[in-house]
Amino acid sequence: MTETAPSKVAEQLEISCQACGSTLLLEPHLRTTVCPYCASPSVIERPPSPNRPAPSFVVGFVIGQERAAESVRNWISNTSLFARSDFKQAAPELTRGVYLPAYLYGAVADSEYSANIGEDYTETETYTTRDSKGNTVTRTRTVTKTEYRSLAGHHSTYIVDVVVTASAGVTNAALEAIEPFDLRALRRYSPAFLSGWIAEDPSRSKDDCFHLSHDESVEKVGRMLHDFMPGDSHRDLQFQTHLSREVIDLVLLPVWSFAIRYAEDQPPVQILVNGQTGRVGGKVPISAIKVTIAVVIGLAVVGGVVALFASQH
Amino acid sequence: MNSAIQNCNRCETPLEQGDLRCSICGQVSPADRQVNELLTIQVMRCQGCGAATAYDIEHQAPSCSFCDSVMEVETLEDPQEQTGGYLPFTIDQDEARRAMRHWLGSLGWFRPSDLKTAARLEQLKPLWWVGWVFDAESFVSWTADSNQSSRRSAWAPYAGQVDMTFDDMLVSASRGLSGAEASAIGPGCDLSTIRDEPEGANNASIEQFDLQRSQARQQIINAIQELAADRVEAQHVPGSRFRKVRVSVVLRKLITRRVSLPAWVLAYRYKGSLYRMVICGQDATRVTGSAPYSIARIVLVAGMAIAAAAMLIAAVASS
Repeated sequence: MTETAPSKVAEQLEISCQACGSTLLLEPHLRTTVCPYCASPSVIERPPSPNRPAPSFVVGFVIGQERAAESVRNWISNTSLFARSDFKQAAPELTRGVYLPAYLYGAVADSEYSANIGEDYTETETYTTRDSKGNTVTRTRTVTKTEYRSLAGHHSTYIVDVVVTASAGVTNAALEAIEPFDLRALRRYSPAFLSGWIAEDPSRSKDDCFHLSHDESVEKVGRMLHDFMPGDSHRDLQFQTHLSREVIDLVLLPVWSFAIRYAEDQPPVQILVNGQTGRVGGKVPISAIKVTIAVVIGLAVVGGVVALFASQH
Repeated sequence: MNSAIQNCNRCETPLEQGDLRCSICGQVSPADRQVNELLTIQVMRCQGCGAATAYDIEHQAPSCSFCDSVMEVETLEDPQEQTGGYLPFTIDQDEARRAMRHWLGSLGWFRPSDLKTAARLEQLKPLWWVGWVFDAESFVSWTADSNQSSRRSAWAPYAGQVDMTFDDMLVSASRGLSGAEASAIGPGCDLSTIRDEPEGANNASIEQFDLQRSQARQQIINAIQELAADRVEAQHVPGSRFRKVRVSVVLRKLITRRVSLPAWVLAYRYKGSLYRMVICGQDATRVTGSAPYSIARIVLVAGMAIAAAAMLIAAVASS
């Protein structure tokens, strides 16, 4: 049996339950199922392929379903003032707790950078002003000035613990919103971890995930370089990063996924909860009406102040 | 206990028992588990009662809901550190006592004149303190501000990259000794004399590592960064005054040993107050500690200085 690549339309897989022998249909990209006849949880391992490597690690669930649901309710009630009212009142529906496939990426980043480094100095300058009697006088004061000097160089560092999504159902931004995961709790992958839970196989190509990892790594290097610059300040920081000696490993992360359907005419909003830390992330739909009202009030206040000011002069 | 099992095949740092990834570069340690080349469907069975098992949040592991047994899984281990060996005491109690008298007599004129004779030894205890000794290769990128070729500002920026090796560098892990005490007496120890058992002193306090391996590694890496910054400042940045020395270190072959090092810890009393001293257990010239100052002598000098200044002012004023 040859396996389908994620790019092709993956098909359902027919398997037989190892406990009672019933035939089960397994959805594509799923790694686990529960037999509807005998309730036995099965873990299915397809042969590894370039886009579907064997998982190296798993982070176990710590947060249970009830705590996750409570976190989501708290999160909704604390969302922005401009969130749609029907969103704030909607009840979150649990879709599932899932082991989400993600890649753990590391590399050596060599960067070539250039920047203008600001070195401060003080100068005494004289200036003329009027004293209390209205006479013109000359005084001195010290002022801080900045001298910019160009600096170019190379920077090398290890990049570790970059986590990017390998599931087509979850964008990298959505995963970033519930990061970080505590990677000290990493366990070596064993199918026993998935038993009784839903687990996905990667549904993004490895190339795609490499791109996401590169982007995150370059962002990380940028932040490091900002802290690396000498001087009192700097500007025009530019850099080119070359990533080498890369490692990429598949890790399964615990995620609770909720859907909020707040209006008939809108698609449901996906809310994710970090199954290890309880951190909630999702995109809040903003109410256009509330924003408009706020803008109108703001303009009215400004207009009123201007009118008041104009009438006094 | 040296629990290194093999070297990371990316940065050649030894991996230890229970490491799932290399602590330096993040490379996965090799697994024992075979990857299935065929499609497999498994129902996880409890090894106790044969019922199907599932991952359980409460146990943080797969467990059986019928007989409550928990399955073993390979997790990252973070054991308490253990010493790898002891350096023997080569300075005995009498030598330590003499070293104390000698040190008290060598502190200079501002100390009380009777310090050497009137100090009464209250306690003299041997201590094995703990530290890490590491070797590493590294590639260090640095930036700094220096006074060299500065223009209007006092500072000019510099940057560079340099290969650096570290051999037998000692980092204190001790709680009993302060950082300053450890760095004062540490260089007196000969690391080649390491033994499996404590030797050379009786009734010694033996300090234990009280850090977990992951924290210890973080401390070592912090120490390496400080060392690298010091070396960059001393050897690589041009100029004579520096600030904002920043380093980014890419480590390779970080090999760490955990050792117990000998020291004599003394307490002496002078005119009712207790003072503390530490002497290296292998080198009696490596001594550090606190000692009283002579208030009378300081006042005398200060008085003379003020008098001299006053005379000078008077002379200037009268001329």
